Amino acid sequence: MPRPTVLVADDDPVFVQSVAAVLGTRYHVRTVANGTEALAVVDDDPPDLIVLDVMMDHMSEGFDVARSLRNNDATALIPIIILTGVDRVYNLRLEVDESWVPADHYLEKPISPEDLMRKVGELVGPGEAKP
Amino acid sequence: MGESTGPRPQTQGAPGSAVRHRSGTEKNRFSYIFSWELHERLLWFCKLRWLAALGLALASVLGPYFSMPSTSPSLAVVAVLVALYNVVFIHVLRARLGPEKDYAALRGLAILQMVTDLAALFFTVHFTGGCSSPVLPFVVFHMAIGTIMIDGRTMYGLGFAVAGAAASLFALEHLGVLAQVATVVGGRSTVGSCVLSMAMLVVLVFGVVYLTDSVTSRFKARNIELHETSTELRRALEEQAQVERRKSHYMRISAHQLRSPLGTIKTSIQVLIDGYVEPGSADGRRLLEGTAARVDSLLAIVNDLLELAKMREGRARAPWTRKVSINQILADLFDALDPYAREANVELIPHFINEGAAVLDWAVPPDLVYAFENLIHNAIKYSKPGGGTVTVALGIDRSHAMVVVADDGIGIPKELQDDVFLEFVRAPNAKHAQAEGTGLGLSIVREAAQMHGGKVSLESAVGLGTTVTMVLPLHHIPPEIIDR
Repeated sequence: MPRPTVLVADDDPVFVQSVAAVLGTRYHVRTVANGTEALAVVDDDPPDLIVLDVMMDHMSEGFDVARSLRNNDATALIPIIILTGVDRVYNLRLEVDESWVPADHYLEKPISPEDLMRKVGELVGPGEAKP
Repeated sequence: MGESTGPRPQTQGAPGSAVRHRSGTEKNRFSYIFSWELHERLLWFCKLRWLAALGLALASVLGPYFSMPSTSPSLAVVAVLVALYNVVFIHVLRARLGPEKDYAALRGLAILQMVTDLAALFFTVHFTGGCSSPVLPFVVFHMAIGTIMIDGRTMYGLGFAVAGAAASLFALEHLGVLAQVATVVGGRSTVGSCVLSMAMLVVLVFGVVYLTDSVTSRFKARNIELHETSTELRRALEEQAQVERRKSHYMRISAHQLRSPLGTIKTSIQVLIDGYVEPGSADGRRLLEGTAARVDSLLAIVNDLLELAKMREGRARAPWTRKVSINQILADLFDALDPYAREANVELIPHFINEGAAVLDWAVPPDLVYAFENLIHNAIKYSKPGGGTVTVALGIDRSHAMVVVADDGIGIPKELQDDVFLEFVRAPNAKHAQAEGTGLGLSIVREAAQMHGGKVSLESAVGLGTTVTMVLPLHHIPPEIIDR
């Protein structure tokens, strides 16, 4: 069984490297730096899971991408984890109404590698260790 | 009172002598405010008029019992007329001429009411004994109310009209043109008693107008002062609230900007601690270098925030220096930044438009250096990839120095050109071209320009470049120096 593919979208290359290092232990990881690139990759080769940062080129770019994916029949079922924490207002609003932005899980930055692996595992399975 | 509805302005009063010296615009402003007061007073006066109509009706009924049988029908007609025109005035005030209407229209209506009432009163005076009429003193009552509602100057004019009307009435009665009516106490008035009544009336009318105007004009002046003070206070409170909102917003975005790299640093360290990446491996070194870069960016943000705070709060303590040469600052910066420009493959071109030096009477040299360095550094950083040119021009006229920094680089999208001087605003293409950047550089530049009495502006086109222009007055004396 092939390793599930996780697409990580974040404009901070150092953070992306950290996330990729963690997820890369059990998943195939692709990385992009903004929402436009994320949508292009999904369109070209849909991943099994998307990890989206909220604030990239624009204030709520991650939310916009998540909504766009959910509104498209072809991509509506791809699980999404949103990385928040840049703006606590978002977090408070999400606590009140999680349907405000469609995502399966939310993680607040800084993230714990353990939490990240657990939440990804819940959505796409435990993956497979590198041979 | 309290007839009018809707929002009321804070201060009430009527414009009179106290506002006569004001400009036309101010008069209009105050007139608008006072129109609310006048509207209420007119409605109140309409209420009193019902009492007058009632009194007249009663007098017409009771007249025969007071030796005035012949005047009863006439008084009844006057009572009906007063009631009718009162209905019309109330209708106009409520339906056509609300308090939101301009003061001039309401004032016109007030004068019309006053004239109509005085006319009705003189009819009543005629039908109740002429110059010996017991209702003659009501003229004085009207004049007092008129002075309160309108203003002294108008009422002095009306006073002459009243005196003229009274004199004409009494003369016509004594000449036999109008039939003299017996007074309540019986008998007809003599010429002597009429002259005495006229004299008393004139003294009372003008005396009452004078006294009422003296008192009310002081109240009006105090109302205006109160209005001005409350307006200033409201404005100050609004400004303070705006400053607080700005501070709060600034603190929030500053915290966000610090939190973002901190989140990355914490995550990277945790990844290393948890053993997902070996610190000694190539990936580990890359991660550590990236983390160190994030620490640098944090420090840069903190430094820029401190610089900005210093400029904003520490102007009074800033090292204001006499006769500061911009030429010298730019020359030093050229020497300092040339290696960086060469490294970036950017040609740095100085262009001094005029002969002579641009010398500011007063300046804070470190802040100017920081601002110009930011501008030139930005121009090099975002210059055309693979090699471009940055031109730094200095122009001088009699009163201003103009520093222009132009690059042929990536440019700034049109929709962000107004915002890039705000804290932490960075265009996406700038982030892509250069990941590092605090987003505070242009805020510092603007702050430096403003504290030197100048301003900064930019023109830009994506892919063609950006030109930032800072204009500084040569002879600006900062308030901090004046305060000293």
